[in-house]
Amino acid sequence: MAASSPMRQHVDTGKDSGDGDFKNELLALIPFLRAFARSLTGNQEGADDLAQETLVKAWQSRATFIPGTNLKAWLFTILRNQFYSDRRRAWRQAPWDQDAAERIPGGGEDQVFSAQLSDTARALRVLSDEQREALILVGAGGFSYEDAAAICKCAVGTVKSRVARARKALMEILDGDDSLEGVTRPAEGDAAREIMAQLDRLAPAPNESGEPGGKRRPK
Amino acid sequence: MQWDNTVSNDEKPNEKARAIRARQRAIGRELRRMYDDVAQEPIPDDFLDLLRKIDDAEDVRAGKKVS
Repeated sequence: MAASSPMRQHVDTGKDSGDGDFKNELLALIPFLRAFARSLTGNQEGADDLAQETLVKAWQSRATFIPGTNLKAWLFTILRNQFYSDRRRAWRQAPWDQDAAERIPGGGEDQVFSAQLSDTARALRVLSDEQREALILVGAGGFSYEDAAAICKCAVGTVKSRVARARKALMEILDGDDSLEGVTRPAEGDAAREIMAQLDRLAPAPNESGEPGGKRRPK
Repeated sequence: MQWDNTVSNDEKPNEKARAIRARQRAIGRELRRMYDDVAQEPIPDDFLDLLRKIDDAEDVRAGKKVS
């Protein structure tokens, strides 16, 4: 990536140790941690908290980093682990409550944020976690399929198929209708049906779940 | 296939494949733009503070000598 001004900053650590070097390498990668975190969480505040937690974890674990290996991929792995473990904890502690979220100061930020987001950004939120992270790592972050597979702890072939399915699904969402409201209309294609099924599974309100969830494929 | 109902059957497959690839490239550019937009934001001060503090906390906890 092109050097931009944030990456030219340095933290004066007051010492010349390897720790100082490590810290400056962390500093240079903060912009990418923030970008990856934003794509996972979909909102700025949560993303920056996640990126900061990642920095702390990385610093505490710095002895386990093997110099000469891919620090960026190492950090992204930590960030991804942190994201899923935070979310599991959040789910255990507080079932999602839309009304409560709207009462929290700043809690409406997600909605404002989504309203300002491009269609592509909003369509990204509809993808499964697996598809979204694979697509972001490979399609936006510039990672090889191999590095993305290591970060996501899955096989290279799995990453490839997730990226391919994510691309197909995004296109169906974006071109199925002018707006994302289109995904609530009668589904027109296989990917759209899968998305509907995902939305049904994600929906917090208990509703009739007897319907078979869009697994049919056209022959 | 269901989503082809409104598309005429004599559309050339190559043209369709080309159009899909072009559309995919456009979506790819949009994804990179979104990611790069965040990556190019100036690093917020609290990140810089955190990196500074992380060091102090470590020194205090480990009783490490600053050389």
